[in-house]
Amino acid sequence: MSHALHRHGTVEQLQNDYTFYARTSRYVNREGCGPKLRKILSIVLEEKSLVNFGSSHSGKSYEAGLNPEEYATTLDKAYGVAGCFSDKEAVRSILKKLKEADTGISIVISGLIDEVVKIAKDVGLKPHTAFLSLGVHGKRAVLPEDRVLEITTMCGHHQVGTRLTKAVVERVKAGKMTPEAGSHLLAQPCPCGIFNTRRSTAILASYRKEASAGSVG
Amino acid sequence: MRIDPDKCMGCMECADFCPVDCILERDGGAYIDEDECVECGVCARAGVCPNEAIYMPEEATQWPRVIRAQYSDPGVQHPAMNQGGRGTEEMKTNDVTGRFRRGEFGMAFEFGRPGVGTRMTEIEKVLKVLVAMDVELEQNNPVFLLVDDVKAGTLKPEVLREKVLSAILEFKIRDEQLEAVVKKLQPVLAELDTVVSWGLATRFAEDGTLPVRARLQALGVPARSNAKINMGMGRPIVEA
Repeated sequence: MSHALHRHGTVEQLQNDYTFYARTSRYVNREGCGPKLRKILSIVLEEKSLVNFGSSHSGKSYEAGLNPEEYATTLDKAYGVAGCFSDKEAVRSILKKLKEADTGISIVISGLIDEVVKIAKDVGLKPHTAFLSLGVHGKRAVLPEDRVLEITTMCGHHQVGTRLTKAVVERVKAGKMTPEAGSHLLAQPCPCGIFNTRRSTAILASYRKEASAGSVG
Repeated sequence: MRIDPDKCMGCMECADFCPVDCILERDGGAYIDEDECVECGVCARAGVCPNEAIYMPEEATQWPRVIRAQYSDPGVQHPAMNQGGRGTEEMKTNDVTGRFRRGEFGMAFEFGRPGVGTRMTEIEKVLKVLVAMDVELEQNNPVFLLVDDVKAGTLKPEVLREKVLSAILEFKIRDEQLEAVVKKLQPVLAELDTVVSWGLATRFAEDGTLPVRARLQALGVPARSNAKINMGMGRPIVEA
């Protein structure tokens, strides 16, 4: 989860990729947080462009079969709730509702800085702290191609690996798997629910399109 | 993790799920290179083994190998931190903890990310440089618990060869130290035998801007266009 600032992709691609966290602090407000987190979860679940949600404590994400009602019962003394959205209007909508709910739980949005700051101003919020990504350093030669990183970095704890991604890409390119089915499979190892399957479907579809064009040509 | 050779039928369905690609084929069956395995457990949780041949051996739960799962499986809690994941609240709760204040920057090196993993030796290389500088190491962080000698910047010798999926080294600097710290660390990171995702936590200015972005650009480490942003909705809020 500490990795969400490093989600790989161009500005254009990241316009459809926002992650959300409600995070309790073990030093300040985790005790008795259950009702507040359940309120936050209900607000998140109302959004139509919610793609996925979960938390490491739940062991699996919505894409992997997490039941929202059962999940809600696990939120006492929890770290928080996480999820991802495919458009910025959903971020605007939940921030408005969360401001009215005033739970006092820390809320973090990961996405394009300028877009998130503008939304915050629009809804009357004052962003507090930013966690900026200064990129990947060190032995960069071992990294896979950018489009693979665009998929694998969507898992906050890198449970979605390069080999699985490449295997799914090959199946999609060969027409043996749809981009949607590929995305669903890729999302299985990520328990936190910030793996954006709508974005990964678009990336897989781009591979499929290229493969089709190549076979025609 | 380990694969029971008596149960494995050699289908290799598990191999694709390994985030560090250490499940190999041998004698018609799958086996795990246990020196490279980070004990994340993804292979077993994938549920693709028809004979349930994948398991965590007892020694993976013993010190020092036990740190592999703690730093690789988000469902395993870090001892003393009382939380899973990467074990740090970093800036997610900064609006209520005041961990990073105006005039300060938080820095976080996530070793092994994305997707490579790291030996603890690589963390020690950077730690030794940091302790010779005037920085404040974050103590409420799982990596700090592995420090052997904080003045020398050494980790406990028995953990050095352990491999994990990722581990985050966190520290804090004063505003005026930024340029010197970045210039000192860039060549150190470049020589590592793994990758490091570099993060910098900063308070927004009163007018909602992030003045540090221009300084980072000038230093040759420009901030990406996306970031994590604490929206300032925690209460009671720490404004300083």
